[in-house]
Amino acid sequence: MNLFREIWQSIVRRDPLSTDKGKSELVFLNVWLHIHPAKVKKENMKFRHSFYLGFITFFLFLILVTTGIVLMVYYRPYPSAAYQDMKDLEFVVFMGPFLRGMHRWAAHGMVVCVFLHMCRVFYTGSYKKPRQFNWVVGVFLFLLTLGLSFTGYLLPWDQLAYWAITVGSNIGSYAPLVGGQLREWLLGGHSVGEAALIRFYVLHVAVLPAAMILFTIVHFWRVRKDGGLSRPIWKLQDPKPAQLVTIGAPAAAAAPLQTVPASSTKTYGLMEVVTGKPIFETVTPEEEEDTVFSYPYAFVREAVALMITVTGIMMMSLFFHAPLEELANPAKTPNPAKAPWYFLGLQELVSHSAMLGGVVAPALMVLALLAIPYIDRNPSRRPNDRKWAIWLFTFFVVVNLVLIVVGTFFRGPGWALVPPWVHVTAGAE
Amino acid sequence: MERRLQQLFFGLSILALVLIVAAAYQANTPTWKNYQRNFHQLEAQGEPNEVTKAAVLATPPEIHQVMLTGLQRVDRCTTCHLGVEDPTMKNAPEPFRFHAGLGSHVPSKFGCTICHGGQGLATDKDGAHGKVDFWPNPLLSKDYVRASCGRCHKEGEVPGVPELTEGRHLFETQGCRGCHKLNGVGGSIGPDLTAEGANHRAPEWLERHFLAPNVISAGSAMPNFHFTKEQARELTYYMLSLTSEDMGTYYSSVRSIPGPAFGRQLFIEKNCITCHNVGGVGLKSGPDLQGVTKKHSTEWLDEQLVNPELVYPGSSMPEYDLEPNARKALVAYLEVATPEDVQLILSNKTRALTPQDVAIEAGKQNFSRFGCVGCHGTELQGGVANPNAQGGEVPSLLHLSDDYTKDEVLAVIRNGRVPPLDNPNGPPPPLYMPSWKHVLSDEDINRIGDYLWSKQQVKKDSW
Repeated sequence: MNLFREIWQSIVRRDPLSTDKGKSELVFLNVWLHIHPAKVKKENMKFRHSFYLGFITFFLFLILVTTGIVLMVYYRPYPSAAYQDMKDLEFVVFMGPFLRGMHRWAAHGMVVCVFLHMCRVFYTGSYKKPRQFNWVVGVFLFLLTLGLSFTGYLLPWDQLAYWAITVGSNIGSYAPLVGGQLREWLLGGHSVGEAALIRFYVLHVAVLPAAMILFTIVHFWRVRKDGGLSRPIWKLQDPKPAQLVTIGAPAAAAAPLQTVPASSTKTYGLMEVVTGKPIFETVTPEEEEDTVFSYPYAFVREAVALMITVTGIMMMSLFFHAPLEELANPAKTPNPAKAPWYFLGLQELVSHSAMLGGVVAPALMVLALLAIPYIDRNPSRRPNDRKWAIWLFTFFVVVNLVLIVVGTFFRGPGWALVPPWVHVTAGAE
Repeated sequence: MERRLQQLFFGLSILALVLIVAAAYQANTPTWKNYQRNFHQLEAQGEPNEVTKAAVLATPPEIHQVMLTGLQRVDRCTTCHLGVEDPTMKNAPEPFRFHAGLGSHVPSKFGCTICHGGQGLATDKDGAHGKVDFWPNPLLSKDYVRASCGRCHKEGEVPGVPELTEGRHLFETQGCRGCHKLNGVGGSIGPDLTAEGANHRAPEWLERHFLAPNVISAGSAMPNFHFTKEQARELTYYMLSLTSEDMGTYYSSVRSIPGPAFGRQLFIEKNCITCHNVGGVGLKSGPDLQGVTKKHSTEWLDEQLVNPELVYPGSSMPEYDLEPNARKALVAYLEVATPEDVQLILSNKTRALTPQDVAIEAGKQNFSRFGCVGCHGTELQGGVANPNAQGGEVPSLLHLSDDYTKDEVLAVIRNGRVPPLDNPNGPPPPLYMPSWKHVLSDEDINRIGDYLWSKQQVKKDSW
């Protein structure tokens, strides 16, 4: 009995969870949990502040990694085999359709959730100082999500995949000077073929996930280092921006901090050696009242978010199978050939002007997204103080959504405007 | 609140478990397992021995599949159609019934979809029968399934399928190649038909199309050939068989497995003797073929048969669009061909051919091979409707000599011609004479000229 106890204690070295020390140690003695603070502000955890969109996005990513690895077992990335492997997943692999469904719906869900997460961060002004750079990291994560979804789109090697990627990569080629080169580099040729499939595969299962993981680590790290989750807007009592205060330090106007010569007989902690103000928001005594231990307060909420995400995706996969069209046929162009839905806004723009829609608009949009925290100099996070920013952002969101909806549902053969309730059968001739 | 959240987490975890179990259940109860259970019960019915009976009933369910690397497919049809190779299942209900009359075409070697169509990879009924979205190749109906024989039986007579034999004959004699390419040989006015069967058009559509091309696809330039219903069906059979799939030597028909007998038949069919001779027997416009297999390698001869012009620039030998196995057979025959044998072949013709006859005969062959007959008719009678061309139809070629010299006619063949318009403001007529100078050699064109002149009906009463 003693041996078991010894083994257990060699693994879990914290005090019992009934004690405050135990609750803290659970977090910071555990490599997986220590990304959390030991204590969190109660209000920050409110659902109506963050909607847990960042968590849900991350959980979807976990689902994608898990199902993706299993799918890799059944998939061979060359044209003559890829489509047959899809059929095998559908017909003979145990729970194959369920597996593929989960991967597909989680992928679509992730694009949606990243977008919603960005909206939430914008509307709560959470990209403002000191979180500017984490917004930039977030934009890169958004682009990586699109990249992962786009590269994964080709892998089933059916007509849907083939032509969506053909159209999607054509949009990219409108960029001046580099566009054609970029497309050729991505496809390994002038059209989507064998070379494109293996390149997309490598990007999809190795390069982009690795980049995604690295950026996610930075993103999470910065959330902590920038002072944890932002305060909900209803908690912003002070119209001034979050103030940088150092507990116990002399006020700025007072005498500068004294530097005490190091003693050779004393061991110093980092905090004792480094001088200067901390860069992140610190907790005032009033706020301290408002905090609770992460265990179980934060963890149970995250666990509920995780289970809602997982069960939601499972239910989708149980009732709706991922689509699989005919074998890719370069000689047979569907009319209309459409890019993946999240690029249909772009395709809609391209249909009006290749240069404007395919190059200028997306480039400006990405640049504007990246620059938001540096353009918006208004320090206040209160909605009433930033009406312009909110209107402008809402305008762009609505325009993008309208374009995507039009591209998805209102475009028929020859990219003609056709309402979705008019059934059109594209002629085979 | 905290309590409620913990309960919610617990509830959701249970739900996740339930969903996984549901998905596993869904995956574990495919319909094919029911079919297999029913089949084993059927098998067990006639089984007197209790032990064997129990063993049959306890057969674990499993997917049966035929991997056909030579046909580039995997057929799982026998997962449900369990009795196809079991004669005792002759009177069993579908899907277990024995497939009679297969001969050597056993499913374990040929699969099912190569003839029947459908989706071999699928393991549910609708999917396997191809009656689902995004599977372009549904089961062929009983009326047309025999068309698939032509996928392997590519040359000569197809045993048991006269429609196919006749369809091919119609294709070669009605001048279809004038407008349509097949395996790289033919015109380019109409669509390439090399893989027409792979388009998976409905057979009924094809049949109606042959009866009235213009009605079925509006604006088609294809003239109405006034085919009979039977002819339309024969051509439909032929079209369905053209999939351009590589069947591999194993699946090529027995008849075309290279052998001198089949080669001899081809030698007669393709009228090689109208140009060539063997040891002096035959005609002299082409080289003597005796000992040709000793002079040249098999590869050289094969290449020569594929593309004569490539091997002998300026060669007037036409391309014959022969299958690899047919070419092998022909070469095999040339190895054993003797003057006596060729004499025998010649003596079966009604009379010996003079060099003049040869040119005319070759011209006639060109005239049908290159599709002139498509518009001008097999008897040069013309008459195919061509709206807004002078006369409203393709002219007859029987009275050319009244208005043209032979050289003028040869020039028209070489350079092509747009027919004069009936109404100068109307739309251009759909049919026109294409330029043939890049398709045919001068010698071929001259022979067509010889043929045309041999058919001219001089208007005697005009003087």
